[in-house]
Amino acid sequence: MARLISFFEATGSLFAILLLWYLATRYGTLSEFLLPSPASVLARIADDTASGDLPTSLLLTLRTAGLGFAIAALAGTTLGIAMARIRLVHWFFDPLISLGFPMPKIAFLPVFLLWLGPTAASQITIVAVSAIFPVVVAAFSGAEGVEKTQLWSARSLGASRHGLLWQIVLPAITPQLFTGLQIALPVALVTTIVAEMLTGSDGIGGIMLGAMRFADSAGVFAYIIVIAIAGTLVFRGMERLRARLLRWHPEQSH
Amino acid sequence: MSQIVFDAVRHGYRTKGRAEMVALSDVNLTVEQGEFVSLLGPSGCGKSTLLYLLGGFVPLQSGRILMEGKPVTGPGPDRGVVFQNFALFPWKTVRQNIAYGLERQGLTAQARTERVQQFIDMVQLRGFEDSFPSQLSGGMRQRVAIARTLAVDPRVLLMDEPFGALDAQTREIMHEELLAIMRRTPMTTIFVTHDVREAVYLSDRVAVMSSRPGRIKEVVTIDLGPRTGPDIMKSAKFNEYVEYLWSQVKTDAVKAMQ
Amino acid sequence: MRLIDFLIRWSPLAILALAWEAAPRLGLINPQSLPPLSVVAVSLWQLAASGDLLTNGLQSLWRLVAGLGLAILIGVPLGAAMASNRIVNVIVAPIARALYPMPKSALIPVLLLWLGLGNASKITLIFLGCLLPVLMSAYNGVRGVEPVMLWSARSFGRGPLSVLFGVAVPAAMPELLAGIRSALALSFVLLVSSEFLMARDGLGYLISFLGDGGAYAPMFAAVIVVSSLGFAADRLFLGLMRRMLAWRG
Ligand SMILES: Nc1ncnc2c1ncn2[C@@H]1O[C@H](COP(=O)(O)OP(=O)(O)O)[C@@H](O)[C@H]1O
Ligand SMILES: [Mg+2]
Repeated sequence: MARLISFFEATGSLFAILLLWYLATRYGTLSEFLLPSPASVLARIADDTASGDLPTSLLLTLRTAGLGFAIAALAGTTLGIAMARIRLVHWFFDPLISLGFPMPKIAFLPVFLLWLGPTAASQITIVAVSAIFPVVVAAFSGAEGVEKTQLWSARSLGASRHGLLWQIVLPAITPQLFTGLQIALPVALVTTIVAEMLTGSDGIGGIMLGAMRFADSAGVFAYIIVIAIAGTLVFRGMERLRARLLRWHPEQSH
Repeated sequence: MSQIVFDAVRHGYRTKGRAEMVALSDVNLTVEQGEFVSLLGPSGCGKSTLLYLLGGFVPLQSGRILMEGKPVTGPGPDRGVVFQNFALFPWKTVRQNIAYGLERQGLTAQARTERVQQFIDMVQLRGFEDSFPSQLSGGMRQRVAIARTLAVDPRVLLMDEPFGALDAQTREIMHEELLAIMRRTPMTTIFVTHDVREAVYLSDRVAVMSSRPGRIKEVVTIDLGPRTGPDIMKSAKFNEYVEYLWSQVKTDAVKAMQ
Repeated sequence: MRLIDFLIRWSPLAILALAWEAAPRLGLINPQSLPPLSVVAVSLWQLAASGDLLTNGLQSLWRLVAGLGLAILIGVPLGAAMASNRIVNVIVAPIARALYPMPKSALIPVLLLWLGLGNASKITLIFLGCLLPVLMSAYNGVRGVEPVMLWSARSFGRGPLSVLFGVAVPAAMPELLAGIRSALALSFVLLVSSEFLMARDGLGYLISFLGDGGAYAPMFAAVIVVSSLGFAADRLFLGLMRRMLAWRG
């Protein structure tokens, strides 16, 4: 019983919205063009899944977002740690990071389109550029905060200077790093969709914009729902990974 | 030849835009094999700095530090260190923390596992092998740190206010455990503290430090015989030592508070 | 001394600016792909003098202020209510949780369908995009207020609404302002994206219009303007934030 109530509390208003949506299209005066019925949207998702179009474009979108995010994560972590350890690197990149972090990187998309054309490369580049800043900052502040005594302990237990990076610094900064990655992830997704719309890719963004041009509202709605679900799954996956990797962290013990 | 030699050690800290802060000035001290020596002094007198220099973490600026006749050039497993903040690796379990140093020593997996278990037993943490440090009390954490350090079989043990972060009761328990460990495996130890009773209770000799600049003002030999239990703290001799050392430290401690 | 520190700190930017000027001039990069900085600067001046920058800039600014303003106006009370009232929470939380992970740029096509090319579609997009971060930060902020503070306010005989807005919201301010700051950054992204895709004016439109027409030097100039505005807005907000949080010491 209690579980039923908590299930209702957790999802009730979503069902209410679905119901409203259904009623509005069933009895309302809205045209199918302005608000397609849940049934036609579902049918559209089913059709496009069966034809393979939907999985293909979803995979394309996830690939772009994933590659851009992965580049941002790797390069950002490396740069952040290097900034914390090497004076010269800090001197050069610190002003660029403080200047670039608050800028809307998406404004540079036309620049990358000019340089790289409407290609996957320019999509991935803008995603990586957009997502890298929070990662750099997180890795930098994490690496700066690694306790000296931890490094010293490791050294006196026989670690080489080189070994410190992998054995101590990297694990020590994972909590902060994940916070940065969790900020970067939605940025990567938002940017991917826009880049796809602007380059006319076959990813979800491009397909949606195409559907809009043909006044195909069922298609637009179908792909909104798909990307919302995909986003949720990706976020959950990230949370899972965090919980798994940070089992040792006191914050994680709930 | 003494095992550890500090010879005319001087150390200054430079902070940007400020005059050099002389933390240690002309420190001379020798420690013999198997001795337990405390560095006693008020906060800020340079105790940690002296220990870090011997540990090889902070580069020597002037003077000589010899470990078994050889100048100290960097950290090494011959000098095991225990820090006040434990400095455990929070992402590793108790077992993994203790195994860390052994992984770099070319033992077989079998020998390593056995040795880890032996040290877990020694610090009485059986049952907590797979706990993370965040799940342990302060006393347990410091026991892990001690086990981790001793497991690699260092020639000398350096402890920087190891019990300073613990409550009084836990601290007393840790004193007994440390003495027990020392009875079983005697080891040269340099023990930093600002607690006079702790210094007298544990040490063969106490080096009293004064601050600004830090130097060793006096070395007192504590002649209390083998420590058989906390009852010794009730003896008149013990309290004489405490009172004398306290009078030596007091002026500096008051100065440090100003 | 301070001047020297300042120069050392920001000199990498000067180096980059020099490289930007030199690379196309020395033929290392095609000047079509990257016009020299000085050429871009002249374009910027012309763009400003022609009034294009101002008209489009004001248009964009209005969208930003309206969208973000609405999100704050609605998000803060709603988030606070969610934290202090169970019924509101049960109604709003599932929806907020479901929509939070959706990339908000995916709403651009629907809003185009519904609201057309004008201001309404952009303002709505920014509003919807910023609503959730603002709402969640207000919610988390108010929920994190220490109960002792609320009890003591109640014991002075204040009513629940007065406690909510007189005590809880100010105490939640740090978290709330941090949320608004991230919403501000997002609002720029959504503004520019939507103006790239569906607009007849605004700075994003200006960038894509210039780019499509092959006027690359002015395009770079407009990109710089938009980025600088994003940077300036953040700094301004940061300053405001520090003043508002000065009581925390
Ligand atoms: N990294 C450092 N930079 C500048 N000053 C330091 C640094 N470490 C210690 N000091 C200063 O050196 C003096 C001695 O410090 P320390 O060796 O930590 O003393 P103790 O361990 O006896 O408290 C103190 O005045 C302290 O402020
Ligand atoms: Mg100290």
